[in-house]
This record gives sequence, structure tokens and C-alpha cells, in this order.
Amino acid sequence: MLQVPEASLTPLLPILLVLAGAISSTLLGFWLSRRTLTFINIGAVVASAVSLGWLWNRDLSSFGGSLRADHAALLLGFVILAGTLMTLLVTLDTAWRARVSFPEFDAMLMYAVTGCLLIAFSGDLIVMLIGLEIMSLSSYVLATLQGSRRAEESGLKYFLLGAAGSAVLIYGLAFVYGATGSLNYAAIAEKTGTLNPDNVGILVGGALLMLCGFGFKVALAPFHQWTPDVYGGAPTSVSLFLSTVVKVAAFAGMLRVFSGALENAPGWHSVLAVLIAATLIVGNLAALRQTNFKRMLAYSAVAHTGFLGMALLGTPAAGGAALGYYLLVYTLMTAAALAIVAALQRSEEGFSITDMRGLYYRHPGYAVALAVCLASLAGLPPFAGFFGKYLVFQAAFQNGYAWISVLAALTSVAALVYYLRPAMLMFMPDRTPAREYGLGQRAPTTLAVALGVAGVTVLGLLPNLWYAFVAHPDIWGMLAGR
Amino acid sequence: MNSFTDWLPTLMIFLPLAGSLLLLVTPKTFRDEVAGFIAALTLGAGLAIWRGGGSELFRWDWIPPLGITYSVQLGGVSLALALVTALMSFIAILYAARRIPNPGPMLSLILAMETGLIGIFAAQDLMLFYVFFEDALIPALLMLAMYGKNGRMAALVKFAAYTLFGSLLMLVSIIGVRYLGGSPSFAMTDLKQHLVTGSAQTWLYLGFLTAMAVKLPMWPLHAWLPDFHEQNHDSGVPDVMGTLYKVGGYGIFTFAIPLFPDASLELRPILMGLAAFTALYAAWIAFRQTDWKRLLAYAGLSHMGFVALGVFSLNETAVIGAMYLLAFQNLYTGALFLSVGMLQERIGSLDTRVGGVMTQAGALGGLTMALWFASIAVPGLAGFIGEFSILLGAYQVSPWLTFIAGITTIAAAAYALTAFQHTFWQARPAGSVTVRDLVHTEWLILGIPLAILVLFGVYSTPALNLMQPAVRAVLSALGGN
Repeated sequence: MLQVPEASLTPLLPILLVLAGAISSTLLGFWLSRRTLTFINIGAVVASAVSLGWLWNRDLSSFGGSLRADHAALLLGFVILAGTLMTLLVTLDTAWRARVSFPEFDAMLMYAVTGCLLIAFSGDLIVMLIGLEIMSLSSYVLATLQGSRRAEESGLKYFLLGAAGSAVLIYGLAFVYGATGSLNYAAIAEKTGTLNPDNVGILVGGALLMLCGFGFKVALAPFHQWTPDVYGGAPTSVSLFLSTVVKVAAFAGMLRVFSGALENAPGWHSVLAVLIAATLIVGNLAALRQTNFKRMLAYSAVAHTGFLGMALLGTPAAGGAALGYYLLVYTLMTAAALAIVAALQRSEEGFSITDMRGLYYRHPGYAVALAVCLASLAGLPPFAGFFGKYLVFQAAFQNGYAWISVLAALTSVAALVYYLRPAMLMFMPDRTPAREYGLGQRAPTTLAVALGVAGVTVLGLLPNLWYAFVAHPDIWGMLAGR
Repeated sequence: MNSFTDWLPTLMIFLPLAGSLLLLVTPKTFRDEVAGFIAALTLGAGLAIWRGGGSELFRWDWIPPLGITYSVQLGGVSLALALVTALMSFIAILYAARRIPNPGPMLSLILAMETGLIGIFAAQDLMLFYVFFEDALIPALLMLAMYGKNGRMAALVKFAAYTLFGSLLMLVSIIGVRYLGGSPSFAMTDLKQHLVTGSAQTWLYLGFLTAMAVKLPMWPLHAWLPDFHEQNHDSGVPDVMGTLYKVGGYGIFTFAIPLFPDASLELRPILMGLAAFTALYAAWIAFRQTDWKRLLAYAGLSHMGFVALGVFSLNETAVIGAMYLLAFQNLYTGALFLSVGMLQERIGSLDTRVGGVMTQAGALGGLTMALWFASIAVPGLAGFIGEFSILLGAYQVSPWLTFIAGITTIAAAAYALTAFQHTFWQARPAGSVTVRDLVHTEWLILGIPLAILVLFGVYSTPALNLMQPAVRAVLSALGGN
């Protein structure tokens, strides 16, 4: 007999609000200007964030546990929405310069956010996969939307490699299902402890395939090859979105799957450790050699994947808390830095690092803000990036990965050098004519930058404002659900 | 317990930072006065703490879930170093206001850095120490970036990379100290109750030591120092702050000895050897320098070798001497950097071979010479007490290494007096510009440090009384040595 699914829409509310924004952009685009639609979307994002607060502490779930609005989902959802808000603010100013200022851009963006939220709220592998596909397909379009050869190349690369990644992921998903007989995180977590030995091999294979699939999405070396080309080739506001929101969502998926469902599965920890070590080395050393600032930030995003990934090596209680804190800080500082690039670049290629000389004397506000973001990315206190780094170092160290902590400390020195050079160049006096776009300083971008810089500074001085929310060990002990 | 005195260290730490931010909105005409006033007020707060005999430990849970506390205390060695920092920052501000055109950003940066430095000395929590340790780096880098010379980018990257290389390894050690020891927080009072034992202690000590060796600096991690000083602004103001930032000796004394007592004893011969070698090697290289700033950099390095020798020897007399030298070398090395700045302002060069300055600028020459005497440990000046105590104490531990380091005092006289003679005596080249003598505040800028050096060279009791109990308390962790 057919069972009527338990379909409570309340826990879905944040997702539905974002989806409503997406649909409104799709439909109302015929009558309203893109600017108006963007304001509607900003409203939808803010409303969605408010609804996260409303769902806090209620621990609702729907569709028989397939969709869960638990604390982890709400916290990760908040990070995703914060990144989205900053992206939308930046596109208000720069989308027309990038020639992507039409309603479809907003629609695609909001669909992607819907997918991102779905990953964070997922309670089983299928919901996670659906969210991941919605997110990925929309991002492929976003990367291609600008009618330039660079954007097309970037989008196609992203699509081909992303599709391969998805395929591997789905294959791994099938293996995990084959080994455990379930798609639900909680059921998988329960069964991994009591598998018969024949199935352990299948489970390990599935876990590793899924690790590769996620590796594509978060840009873990050696699956990071697309990242610099896509982030560098897409319009800067899209790069901002891809390197913050999309990456946060992919990490949310990894957190759910690996720290939740597969926490007790053997094998993947050591492989992940090796991948992270490779990412730290490749990302940081490659960033050191870049001459274009935007491309350097793309490599820095790869390097940060390594730092963020260290949290997954910790116990779920320590690692989840570290990741929850670091993801927000990472979003704030990366988004603010790319917002400034988007505002001040002459073309969508970004600007070269040498062009930044003397920026402080031409755009003092943006230069100081960018310096703060770079200092935070480099992990210098009193900015919040430092505590992020400290937390992931600690998470890895405490779970027996001291060597990864030492390696991360050493590669951070390279990171400091490549962040420091542009930051310090901006303060060196310069008498040559300005090489950046002079009219880039506009109110919405400034608001986004101010949000990022204020967030990074306040969270650095009083980390507990956000850490107190994410620190509760219960949150991350139940990633898989009950 | 008076609640106001508990807040004094916090006031002393953050007053300069507040002043630094205030300067950003102060009209140009009052900037110098405001900066000077804030620096003087900070120094006043420090003197008030001294008058009250040091402050109590002030503790506030900064980030409770992580066990990071805001624990600060100024007393003993830390108070002495904080006072010297406040004094030299004040003098640096006096000179910056006089010398640098449009000095707004520089004054702001000096004050911002002062906060980091006093914070380093006041911190009684390892994470807080780390935060202040890195905080002081940012203004130092900005000074170099905004006011440096042509080769500054290379110098800057070198300086930052060395510092971070050490301090990130220290961060891993800090995490390890708490986690492996099982302490509930990073506060020193808790960490001392939960020491790590065995070989893990040695490894953690090495991580900690890397950061401190970079900041001492000590061979082979010293390479950033000469470039840093050479590329900084001619006035020598950033060099004063850079000298104050050489906190490695203090870090080892306050944090490493109590937390890694066994490892300190185990590695003592190696570390003392490195320290003695640093002292001699730096003096040897200083002898070959023709740029005053590089010469001073190597002279400072040589002194730091002495400080390290004293600290690593773990002998009470030597450690007191090391802390005494660490505090007072800031005065003479800093003042010498400023006197070099004054020389450069007058003759437009930092070369040591200009000749004949003494005949036209007697006061500049005389004060500089007196400061050099302090630097090469002439009795009657504060440097002597420090160096002599170190040699006396270290001799009881390792006579031969102390002998090697002792040779340095002769080498120091050689490099200092040779360079001084080339610049200030000999003949003034025909047709060169007339050198103006000291004017206005320049007298104070060189005179105040010198007066203090003489005072504490003759009457050292107040400073020794301040330091001795603190040193005893730290060394007692070694179980009577």
C-alpha cells in the first residue's frame, strides 16, 4: 500500500523563500528591471535568514528525515545566505560592467542558492545529490553567461570537469548504497559499524569515490585543475559566488556525508589527509607565482580548501565547530576581497598585482579594507582568519594529524608572502597614473565590503559571537541525524 | 585590592591603540601633540604600576569554549620591559614628529605597535601572547612599506616570512602544550599545573624555540635583521620600534622555561653554544660594515647573543643579567639608531666613512660616544651590569662557551670605536657641508636615554629589586639548579 509521505513544509521555509526569489526573477523578468529584481532577491535572502532564526532550536525534519532543519543545517545555511547577500550587493554595481545584467542572471544565482541550501539541509544522499546538481548546473550557466570567449571557455571547462566529478560522486553513492542498503545518513552511520567483511570493501570504495567527487567540487588537489581557470575566467562577481557560496555548500555536503554518515567507515581519513597535504602544497606554492591578483585569489581559494579540509580530519565535535567558524570567516573575507577587485578592475580579467601599488593613496577606504581581508586570509591576528586557522590546526592536531598541522604551518608561510606582497604594495607611494577603474566605489559594493571587514574584525576580537553558536558539540555529533 | 589598579595594565596596553585610532581623525596641526600626550600618558600608567609594586593578575575569559583567557599582569621583568617600551616609544614619537614631514601615519603606527609590544610583555596566556606577538608585526610591516627605501619589498617579505615561519610552528606547539598536557585553558597558571613530559616536551620546546630564535634573533635565523634595519626610514624611528620587538629572550624566559623545564636543561649546552656563536659571529661581521644601520643591526644581534647566553644558561645571576641587558639595550641601541638618523639628516649619508663630524657637532658626537660606551659595556653604564652578570653566571655553567662570548666584548670595542673614529674624528673632507649641532628636542632624545643608562649603571638596585623575585620564581620551576 502506498504510504503518504510526511511532508511538512515548515523546515523547508528558508529554501522555499530563496526559491520564491528565483521564480520571481524568472517570471517577473518580463516586466521588471533587473535592478528591481535584485532588490526583491535581497529581500528574499534576508527573509530566508530570518526564518533560519525562527527555526533555531526546534530541530524539525521532514519527508521521513530526508530533509532536516537541525542546528548544523541552520548554521551552514546562514553562512550560505551571508555569501549570497554579499554577491547580490556586488552584482548591483558590477553586473552591467560585466555585461551580465539581465534577469536570468539573478534567477540562476538564486536557483544555485536553493541547491546550496538543500545540501546543507539534506538528511539523505539523494536530497544531497539533488541539491548538488541544482547548484552545479546553475553555476555552469553563471560561469558562461557573459558572452565572451573567456567566460565560455571557463564555463565549458567547469561543466566538463564538474560533470565528471558528479558522475564519480554518483557512482560512489551507489557503492555506499550497495554496501549498507540505505541512503539515509543515520541508517548508513548505524550500519557502518556492523557490516559483514565482504561489504567493507565496497563501502571503502564508495567512500573514496565520493571523496573524489567532492574533491572536484571543493577543489582538492589533484582535482583542483579547473579552479584557477574558472575563477579567473568568469566575471568577478561570479567568481565571488563560486569561491564562497558554492564552496561552502560543497563543504556542507562533505560534513554531512563524511563527518556524519561515514564517520565510522574505514579508509577515507588517511586518503583525505594525503589529498589535503597535496592541496596545501600545490595551492600555496602556485599562488606564490601568480602575477594577476584575481588569479592569485583563485589559487588562494584552492589553498584555503586545504585549510578548511583539515577540519574534516578532526573529530566531528571539534572539526565541525572549526569548520562552522572558518566557513563564515572565509566567506566574509574572500567575498570582501573579490568585491573590491570587482569594483576596481578595468576589465573582468582583474588587475595585475603591480598595478596595486599606491592604491592606498587613491582609494584609502578600499585599500585598507583589502589589506584587512588579506591579513585575515593570511591568518594574522587580530583578524578572524587567525582563529579559523588556529581552530583547524587544533582539530587536526587533536585527532592525531600533528604532521598535517606542521605542514599547514609551513605552507602558511608561503601564504603569508603572497598575501603580503599586494597588501604592502598598496601602501607604497606611487607617482604613476592610476591603473584601476576610478569610479568603482559605489554604495552597495561598499556596504558588502563593510559587512565583510566589520565581520572579520569583530569576529577576530570577539570570536565567541559566532563560535558560541557553532561550538556546541551536540550539533556536530548528530550530523547524520538520529 | 583596588579595582583601578587591576585595570592599569589593560589601560597601558590599549591606550596607545586608542591613541593611534584617535590620530586618524585628529587635525594635522595637533597630531604631534596628541601622539606625544598619549605616549606620555602610557608611560605614566606604567610608572603608576611600578609605584604600586606591580599589578595583580587580571583574568577574564575571552573565548570560554576554547579556554582562551585575557590574562594580563605587569610586574617584575615584564613591568621593566613594558616601561622601557613606553619610554622608547615616547622618544621615538618625539623624534618622528620632529624629523618626518607629515608624520601622521608614522605616529599612528608607532602607537599601534606599542600596544602590541606592551601586550606581549603583559600577556599571561599563551594564546594572548601569540595574538599580541603577531599584532605588533602589522605596524612594523606598514612602517617599512610606507616609509622604507627601494629594496624594502624584499626586506619586508624576508622579515615577515621569518617571523611567521617561527610563530606558526609556535602556534602548533601552543596547541600541543595545552592538548597533550590536558590543561583546561591557555592561561599560564593552568598550564604550569599540567606540564607535558617526556620527549613530547622537547619537540614542543623546539617549536616554541623557533619563533623565539627568529625574534631574538639568533644564528641561523637572524638573516632578516640587517635588511630590515637597512631598508627602514633614515630617521631610525622604525628601527627603535624594531629593536623593542626583539622579544625572543623574554618569551623564552617567561614561557619556555616554566613550560619546558626538562627540555631547557637537556638542550642547554647546544643552545648556549649557538648563543655564544651568535654573539661572536655578529661582532665579527659588524666590524666589516660601512653602513651605520647595518653595523647597529649586527651590534644589536651580538647583544642578543649575550641575552640568549644568559637565558639559556638557566643560572640565576645570568638570567637576571640577561633581562637587565634586554631591557637596557633597548635604550642605547634605540638611541643610537636615532643618533644615526640625526647624522643622516645632517650629512645625507649613512656611511661610516664621512669623517670629522665631531669638530662641528660636538654635542652630537659626544652623546653618541657616550651611548656607544653604554653599548660596549663600559662600567658605570647600565650595559655593563647586564653583560657582567651574564658572564659571571654563565661561567659557572659553561666556562669555555662563556670565554668565547667574552671575546665579543673586545670585538665590540673594536667595531664600535673604529666606526666612530671614521665618522666623528679624522678630517672633515674639504668642501663638505657644515654640520649643525643638536638643537631643541634632539638634546632630550639622546639625553634622556643616556641619563637613565647612567642612573641604572650606577644605582642598579631599583631595577634589580624589580627583576630578581620574578627571575627566582621562574627558575624555581627547574627544581633548584
